[in-house]
Amino acid sequence: MIRGEGLGKSFGRVEAIRGVDLHAPDGRITALLGPNGAGKSTTLRILATVLQADRGHAWVDGAEVSADPAAVRRSIGVLPHGAGLYARLSARENIAYFGALHGLGRAALRARVDELVEQLDMGEFANRRVAGFSQGQRIKVALARALVHDPKNVLLDEPTNGLDVMATRALREIIIALKRQGRCVVFSSHVMQEVATLCDDLIIVGGGQVRFAGSLDELRTRTGQDDLEDAFVDVVGEQPA
Amino acid sequence: MSGFSVVLAKECRDNFRDIRTILASFSLALLGPALFAAMMAFVLNTTLGESRESFRLAVVGSEHAPRLMEHLGRFNVELTEVTLDDPRQAVRDGREDLVLVIDADYPRRLEAGERAAVALIHDSSRMGTARRNYSRAQQMIGQYSRKLGILRVQLRGMDPALLSPIAVSEVDTASPAARAMTLLTVLPYLLVLVVFMGGFYLAIDATAGEREHGSLEPLLSQPISRAQLVLGKVAAASVFSAISTALFLIGLSLSLPFVPLHKVGMSLAIDLNACVQMFFVSLPLVFLGASLLTVVASFAKSYKEAQTYLTVVILIPTLPLIVTQMLNVEATTALMLIPSFSQATLISDLIKGEALEWAHVAVSMAATGTLAALTAWVAVALYKRERMLV
Repeated sequence: MIRGEGLGKSFGRVEAIRGVDLHAPDGRITALLGPNGAGKSTTLRILATVLQADRGHAWVDGAEVSADPAAVRRSIGVLPHGAGLYARLSARENIAYFGALHGLGRAALRARVDELVEQLDMGEFANRRVAGFSQGQRIKVALARALVHDPKNVLLDEPTNGLDVMATRALREIIIALKRQGRCVVFSSHVMQEVATLCDDLIIVGGGQVRFAGSLDELRTRTGQDDLEDAFVDVVGEQPA
Repeated sequence: MSGFSVVLAKECRDNFRDIRTILASFSLALLGPALFAAMMAFVLNTTLGESRESFRLAVVGSEHAPRLMEHLGRFNVELTEVTLDDPRQAVRDGREDLVLVIDADYPRRLEAGERAAVALIHDSSRMGTARRNYSRAQQMIGQYSRKLGILRVQLRGMDPALLSPIAVSEVDTASPAARAMTLLTVLPYLLVLVVFMGGFYLAIDATAGEREHGSLEPLLSQPISRAQLVLGKVAAASVFSAISTALFLIGLSLSLPFVPLHKVGMSLAIDLNACVQMFFVSLPLVFLGASLLTVVASFAKSYKEAQTYLTVVILIPTLPLIVTQMLNVEATTALMLIPSFSQATLISDLIKGEALEWAHVAVSMAATGTLAALTAWVAVALYKRERMLV
């Protein structure tokens, strides 16, 4: 379970987010939706302990992110923007590297990697080096790497970016499976349709602030718009591109 | 396995798979000693060659000067009578190195007590043996000329000393061995470069490269302390640097026997024991190099940017060497505080077969080691800042 209260972060004079509150319960998929530059990545990075919030607090399963980052790191799995894999290592080696950093022993690590390779249907390319992988294959490897220590909470930063229809469908099923396993799944996106098919709860951010939090039906009711995209634009407000 | 060793193992494995990193990291260590030995051998063979070995002197018209031939024959000269229409062209074309031309009126002028002329044709742009043989021939003929002059003066009842009012005696205190030693001053530069080149590409890949490929962010959200993470990377760069140093020392001990140092009465044999000692005294410099490269590469956002910075960094360790060499500084215990200079001095001593002064070794290792630890601490501190990411 992830909770944030009044999170704020500035880079120099630019205020990336201000006063962001969020709540993402276990066994549900929470979407962080917003236009480019709304502060989605900054929020996720604070939750992933990579950035420190200037203001406010956030808790992952009760551990505060800046007070006890070590505990938070053990209970989250992070899929960063753009995968970030090591091209000269094989898919298995990429996954095993993070597993080893989490302190998994040799035998446990091997078993866990085998399990993930099967779960994510990576048998075909698991022993190949990552250089030359398709974007879909990369995302799978990065996701397996994020899940290697069986985290209760999963943060996905724009996971469907650059994926084709088939790969997007496959990923969607994986995300739903993660939810069924009882995990707390938070993912960011700027595509309303994608969010609509997947999320249970929706948090819309714009200009560094939360503009809406609730279910899709609540969004329709609140805005009086039947079309979700119109509702989204209504909440965020027309912005110059 | 601790996080430190996981990172160390991963960085080493990752970089050993990159053929370009391997080539760039170890090529200087592998080629350096061979090039150095070849250069030494060339210099020794050409400028310091045996001065009494025989050489060929082509003569045109030797029948005109039998006495001169007799004089030259006493030296170790292969006199060869040749018939050349154009001796100058023969030298220009490289068919002959040196031609002595004696004119047909040489005997007549000599008999008449006049000044007789011979021509010694050579090409001064040619280095090495050709130049040395020319000056030897010139000396031999000059000696014969002076002998004749003295005889003529004596026949006229005068003191031969009149001919040379000032007698210059030349004394060169530099032994050929000392001249060869000046060549050895290149070796410390080479060693320092080899140490730094070894860790160069791994340090970039592990810092700027990691950032460029977007793998730094997920790595920083793993449960490993920044200290273990950064020290693992520094250690991996040290491993590559140490391999580079070891290859260089092994290469040096294998190639030095091919340098004809016996010609100048020297021997520079590096045995296994000396090799191990050299490696041992270089180790603190290996750690310092790896830390320094990691610190500087961490500021770069891309591989290319890091390469630009580090090319400048790699010059830093050569500065103490250049300055101390220009000032002609004697190695003292206090100077052993200077990294790179101290290692260069200790290694030069070992190459010359001199015993190490343990005070020097202790100060050098402690000073450079401390600086390496401080630099590594700076690297860790850098990675604790979140600006590392954005």
